[in-house]
Amino acid sequence: MIAENTQTQMRKGILEYCVLLIISKGEIYASDIIAELKKARLLVVEGTLYPLLTRLKNNGLLSYNWVESTSGPPRKYYLLTIEGKEILTKLDITWMELSYAIETSKQTKS
Amino acid sequence: MKKTLNINIGNSIILIEEDAYEMLTAYLNEIKFHFSKNADHFEIVTDIENRIAEMFREILAQQQKQVIGIDDVQLIIAQMGSVKDFESADEAEESGYEDTISGVKKLYRDTDEAYVAGVCSGLSHYANVDAKWFRLLFLVSLFFAGSGLVAYLIMWILIPRAATRSQRMYMKGQPVNLHGFIRNFEEELAGNQLINRSRGFFVELAEAAGRLVRTLGKTFFKIIAALIIIFGTCFFLGLLVGLAVFFGFWDANPSDYYPLNIVNDDYLSSMVVAFFVALAVPIIALVLFAIRVAFNTRAINRTVSFALLVIWLGGIMVSIFYITKTFSEFKEEAAFTQVKELKRYDAYTLTLDRSRFFSKEDSVKYQINTDKYRGKVILNDMDDPFNLPRNVRLNIEKSEDGRVTLTQNNSSHGKNFEVALIHAQNIRYDFSQQDSLLNFSPFLQLNRNTNWRDQEVELTLKVPVGVKLFLKDDMDRLNFSFDYWSCDGEEARKIWVMTEEGLKCGVPN
Repeated sequence: MIAENTQTQMRKGILEYCVLLIISKGEIYASDIIAELKKARLLVVEGTLYPLLTRLKNNGLLSYNWVESTSGPPRKYYLLTIEGKEILTKLDITWMELSYAIETSKQTKS
Repeated sequence: MKKTLNINIGNSIILIEEDAYEMLTAYLNEIKFHFSKNADHFEIVTDIENRIAEMFREILAQQQKQVIGIDDVQLIIAQMGSVKDFESADEAEESGYEDTISGVKKLYRDTDEAYVAGVCSGLSHYANVDAKWFRLLFLVSLFFAGSGLVAYLIMWILIPRAATRSQRMYMKGQPVNLHGFIRNFEEELAGNQLINRSRGFFVELAEAAGRLVRTLGKTFFKIIAALIIIFGTCFFLGLLVGLAVFFGFWDANPSDYYPLNIVNDDYLSSMVVAFFVALAVPIIALVLFAIRVAFNTRAINRTVSFALLVIWLGGIMVSIFYITKTFSEFKEEAAFTQVKELKRYDAYTLTLDRSRFFSKEDSVKYQINTDKYRGKVILNDMDDPFNLPRNVRLNIEKSEDGRVTLTQNNSSHGKNFEVALIHAQNIRYDFSQQDSLLNFSPFLQLNRNTNWRDQEVELTLKVPVGVKLFLKDDMDRLNFSFDYWSCDGEEARKIWVMTEEGLKCGVPN
């Protein structure tokens, strides 16, 4: 149970970071984000993404444009705001630190 | 062939099959419920709905078909993820999330398990009580001016029939979410139930009447079975209580009392147990059978029933053995006679004396303190059911030699002459003379630890010719050997006189 909880926490943070990374590459549609995440072997289901995107958008990290699609109604394409880019830079630094912490921990441990 | 529906999802018109629609509705409801605590739930759900619509369009375009089926919905759900998956994703944040909407129950009539129109089975699902109790309630209420019938008809009309799968799931309180849905669907396939399509009131009525007739016969048997269960259980409990009383919950020694003192002390206990088994086992079997009829349960284990049979036969055999043994103790008869000479008077008054005379042994047993009881008379209760049969006979004969005598003949049975004679000697009979007053006891008494062996006391009062006898009121409690009852008139029966021809009644002066 504790292991599971820790895993969930880790994944949660990293999922957010990855989503921001994917979006930072350019305007993108939700299902394409899924495809990217799947390629990165991170996300299981699409339903998890929508609340996350909504939350990031409401926190001002993301915005979206309605883009006409060839079939059916227009789609939401997400992109990073300036604030989002700033936060992503901060996250990059944090990740480096974390990565270093983990590497170091592993070395000293073994 | 399946019914299809037109739905508007994510601003697209999609044609969808009915069962697929129900599953999709359940799924979306689940999602809505899940996100209902989230401030942005509207936006999230709209996004998801839009995406689902898009996926539908893709499926329809790719597979070149017109209608979304249940497989497609399942595919989409797999891709979108079930609420369970969402839960694990935001566990840390919202741990207060409660599992689906399992508590929601709605009242419908259950026509799949109906006897008449499914009101009772519907109520049973709603109240989570077995339907048979509601049925019983309605049946009983029929006897109160048919109030139940009116109530039933009203409910029949007011409560909707559970027609769709989700309605049936609401009725049963199964969670109307995806898991519940799939489970319900599988259950239905397993049970091979037919879904009753909507029908009119009168079609239902006709069908109900048919069902009623069919089930009425069954119900009748069930009522009989229920009665057997109730009375059988009561009787069985009665037997148990009797057994418990016999084995020591009673502070007296039961083998001192008639009729238990017929049986020899040595095997009284075994015999009582044998009788108990012989009676109780058939009752248990009957009750079990009735339960089986009433509740459609499985027959009891074959080994158990065989064991019961063996126990019962054993009980019967032991009972028969002891009964014959007890009867054999009545084989021989013995008697002895005592003659007592009475003081001579011209007239005697015969009365029944119920006062009890205690032997020394009895006084100790009953803790009779002579100081406390001085001047008091303890009376025997004449109508005690545990009294011995009143085997006291009184005969009045003519005395040839002018003497007045009372002959007391004690007789008893026993397995041989010697034992019979001992039993006869153990008879205690109280008789006393106070001048011309003759006191007879209404019954004989047995010394303690003496079994009842049909002991009898035959009294013969011999009086010379001309002697008058006044019989007190309660003397007729004795058995008379002379022709007492052929004498007409209550008053006449109180006065008797000895003549040359024998005893005559009702002679004046």
